[in-house]
Parts: sequence; structure tokens; C-alpha cells
Amino acid sequence: MMNQTAIVTGASEGLGKSLAIEIASRGINLVLVALPLSGLPELASFIRKNFEVKVNFLEIDLTDAESYPSIFEYLRVQQITAGMLVNNAGVGNWSWFEDMNIGFYKKQIELNVITPVLLTRLFLAQANADATSYILNVGSLGGLFVVPKKQVYGATKSFIRYFTKCLQLELHELNVKISLLSPGGINTKPELLVMNNKLKGISKATIMEPGDVARIAIDGLLKGKKEIIPGWINRLLVVLNSLLPAGVKDIMIRRRLASVIES
Amino acid sequence: MKVLVTGATGFIGRQLTFALAQQGYEVKALCRNTDHPYLVKHKNIEPVTGNILYRQSLGRAMQGCQQVYHTAAMAKMWCRNPDDYHETNVTGTRNVLEIAADTGVKKIVYTSTCGVWGPTIKYPMNEDDPRIAGFPIAYERTKYLAELEAGKFAKQGMHIVTVNPSRVYGEGPVTDSNTVGKMVSAYLKGKWRFIPGSGEQVANYAFLTDVVNGHLAAMDKGASGERYILGGEDISFNDFFNTVSQVSGRKQRMFHLPLKTIEVYSHIEKLKAHLTGLRPFFLPEFAERLKYDQKYSSDKAITRLGYHITPFAEGIDKTVKYIIQY
Repeated sequence: MMNQTAIVTGASEGLGKSLAIEIASRGINLVLVALPLSGLPELASFIRKNFEVKVNFLEIDLTDAESYPSIFEYLRVQQITAGMLVNNAGVGNWSWFEDMNIGFYKKQIELNVITPVLLTRLFLAQANADATSYILNVGSLGGLFVVPKKQVYGATKSFIRYFTKCLQLELHELNVKISLLSPGGINTKPELLVMNNKLKGISKATIMEPGDVARIAIDGLLKGKKEIIPGWINRLLVVLNSLLPAGVKDIMIRRRLASVIES
Repeated sequence: MKVLVTGATGFIGRQLTFALAQQGYEVKALCRNTDHPYLVKHKNIEPVTGNILYRQSLGRAMQGCQQVYHTAAMAKMWCRNPDDYHETNVTGTRNVLEIAADTGVKKIVYTSTCGVWGPTIKYPMNEDDPRIAGFPIAYERTKYLAELEAGKFAKQGMHIVTVNPSRVYGEGPVTDSNTVGKMVSAYLKGKWRFIPGSGEQVANYAFLTDVVNGHLAAMDKGASGERYILGGEDISFNDFFNTVSQVSGRKQRMFHLPLKTIEVYSHIEKLKAHLTGLRPFFLPEFAERLKYDQKYSSDKAITRLGYHITPFAEGIDKTVKYIIQY
């Protein structure tokens, strides 16, 4: 993987930051993408100093239509061929459907759905066919389970699940490895820190640290795993999900919904 | 001039109230219990009963004060009620800042910690570096959230300077949150005989006197909304105990404990604390941290605040003498 370059979107905080650091620790150069004023220059200089890899960064809004080609135009000018794409940027929500306005949902769908699809398309077009290329799509266990108050977020992650699985079939003859990362909760943003810390029992046990998720994700990606589910409790939940009859799951979700409404 | 110090019986707050009193400030020392043995008695120190969680008591305490040093925090390794960290460190800080704004306090120095950065990789971190790990340690998590609160008030025009001491050691009482004091004291008694792993892991140790002077300089010269690391030398566990041994003249045979053993033990301790409610000696999130260095650079404070670092051997010498004496 020497002299390889990875593009990481949403690299300025949370899981994206951990993924960038994990990739750098393996000697892979980086192109970091995140919004302006999100601390990207500082992160880039920190990684350069501590890992001796090349780090470029682009401060752009990935919901702008021009941003997608501009990333690859930038790479062309810099004479960089990217061998890895980490589609990490995304917006979550934990709110009733009526609580957010249409502008929020439009941005959320653009960032969670349109951005990874278009970046994957442009990435594959520039990839070197003779070397193995890697794509990591950050999904969510929410793409598998129906979770109340995550209606649009969960739907975007279901999209990513279908998209990734389908591309894996389409591209299996090519020198491309595509992994779906399906994490449970991760301790990332300050607001989540407060919320996650209030959880109890099983819900609490599913929460993981971003550094651990990043390490497991990049290990899995380089090994060519099709789906990466960090944490044994989360894997157990996935197995249970496939075993339980739909009627039972429905009851469980309704009961969960009732407890959510109370809180 | 009247100044208020919150956490006046704490390791830093105690020494800070004394230094301010010596300089002729009228110091109001906020503490939950004014009979506290660690409260310094001085003609310029006025003990004020209060609690940063009771807003009324804060209003009374800040009456007539132009400056506030907010050093009060929950810095213990473990609390029976885990919500105490958030209450004291985040809600408490918000209370202090809100009341300070209402009572017309001119300047605030907020005592944060290098724990908001936590682990480091190769080079010492500075104020602009990002945090690279998550926040499994409650103290670090809540101090980080409290910095965000301070940031909000600074943006609204309040004069707040944040200082980030590293692992503070020095001449002061050996309390639950004084980790270095506990280690040195136990070593001198022959009760601390182990070094984690290879002992090569490095942490940054800040001498209490330097940290107190750094607070005063931050109030005087610090820019609002800025953070200043108040650290000391980066020292490995091996060097730490070698230095303690040299300055005290007490040689203990030390044993290297594998990190894996510490990790397993920490899980047992966590389970014990969970089942019995007794204070654990060690926890998994701290065992994990032993794998990393914690190196920090005080260059910004040195150039902008005139911060001074006492050499580690000199500071430890004073600390050992203090601990033997008391």
C-alpha cells in the first residue's frame, strides 16, 4: 500500500477523523475532505507531523454539485491517483419526522445518498486498473434495523447497504474491493457523548469508541470483507434479527417506540 | 481588588488562593465547607460557603468581584454516581459563567486540562492539535464539554481565558485526585512497587507552582477565547521513578507489570465497583490509556504568558520533601 492515497470525506471530526488517523498510521497518504472552518488544516498538519505521510485537504461543501468533479480535478492537477475512497461524510438525525424542515432532509439525503454514489462513480473512473482499489462505504446498523426517530437517516443507510452490496456483485471481477461498514452507536460528537452516556444495558454495550471502529474498519477493508460489523454484541443483534420472526420484531420495535415516546 | 476562586480547597485552587492573597488581592475562597482542612488561612482570604451547583450561592460569592478563577471540578478517577462528572464539570461551569456575566465580573480564567487532548502519537501536542481518541474517560469528556461552554460565552464577548494544566504535581495535600502525590507517597512507603508495561510510556508533568503562576499570568496577559497549555517536562514512568528514587535516596526494587495483566485486572475492578459500589483502584479506560504517550508542549504559554517550567528533578525534590514532612 506504499504511496497509495486515500480520500476521506467528513474527515474533520468523529469517525472520519479516526479513519483518517488509522489510514495514516498504515503509511497511506491522505486527501481529507470536510466543510470549511471545521479544523481541517490543523488535522492535516497534525497527521503530516506524526505519521510522515502526505496529506492534502479540501474544504468544500459536498452538497454542492460542483464539489464532486472538483475533488478529482484537484487530484488530477496534483497528479495524485486515489487508490482508496472512504465515503464517510453524513448527517444523522434523532427526531420525529415533523420536527425537521424540508431543507434539513434535502441536505441529509444529498450528503448521505447522492454524495457517496457520485464520488464512487468518479473514483472508479480514475482508479488504476492494475492496482487494487478500495472503497469503504459507511453505513449503519440503522440501515438494517428499523429504529424510531431515525426514519430518513435509516433510509439513507439502507440505500447505502443496497448500493454497496449490488456494486460488490457488479464489480467482483475487477480489481476493486468494496466494503460496507455497519457500526452501531459510536462516541463521537459532544451531543452524542451526553446522550450515549445516559444509555443503559444492551444499548450502552453496543456503543463503541471511534478509534476501535476505525481500526476494525480498515482491517476489514484491506482484507476485502464485504460487510464489517464492529463489536460482537452488534454482530449478535444482526444474527438475532435474521432469526426472529417479523411479528416478534414488530412487537419489540413498538415497545421500544413506546419507551421512546415516554422519554 | 476582589477576586473569587472556586474550588479553593482543591490541589490547584488552594495554592492559587494563597498566591493571590500574598500578592495583596482580597480573595473570596468558595468552598462547600469552610472548615475544610485544606483551606488556607490568611488575612486576605475570606472563606465563602457555596457550591457551583447552587446558583444563589454563586451570586453571593461573586458580589463585588472583578475576576474569577474557576478551578472547581470533579477530577476523581471514579464517582459512585457517574452523573456527578457532568453535573460538576459542565453544569457547574455553565452556572459560574452565567452568574459571572450577570454580576459584572470582568475577567475569568477557567481551569481545563490537557486531558481534553488525551493521547498523543509522536510529537508533543499543542493548542491547535486535534483530539485523536474518543472520550471513554468521564473526566476528559466532561472537561471537553465544559470548554465548549466556555467557548460559547467567549464568543458572546465575555473575557474568558482557558488554561490546560497537564498532570500536576507539587507541594500540596495527597488527595484522591492528586495522582502523582499518591504515587510518590506510596513509593516512599514501599507500597508502590510496579511500573506499567515497559515503563517507556511518557506523560507530561506540571509543577504546581508553575501552574499557579500560569493562572495568574493568564488572567493578566491571556487573550480571551484562547487556550494555554500549562505543562512541564515529558517524562517516562521509568524516569519518573528513577528521579523519585534519586532525590529521596530510597531505592525500591520495581516490577514491570504487563499491560495485558493491568487490563484484565482493571475489568475485575470495574466489575467489583459495579457490584459492590466500592471505589475501584483502576478502570479499563485508564488501562487503555497506558498504551499511549501524553506529551504536551507549553510553548504558547512560555512565549505569550512568560510561563516558566521548573525542571522535573527540582520539582520532584520539593514534592518528596513536602510529602515526607506532612
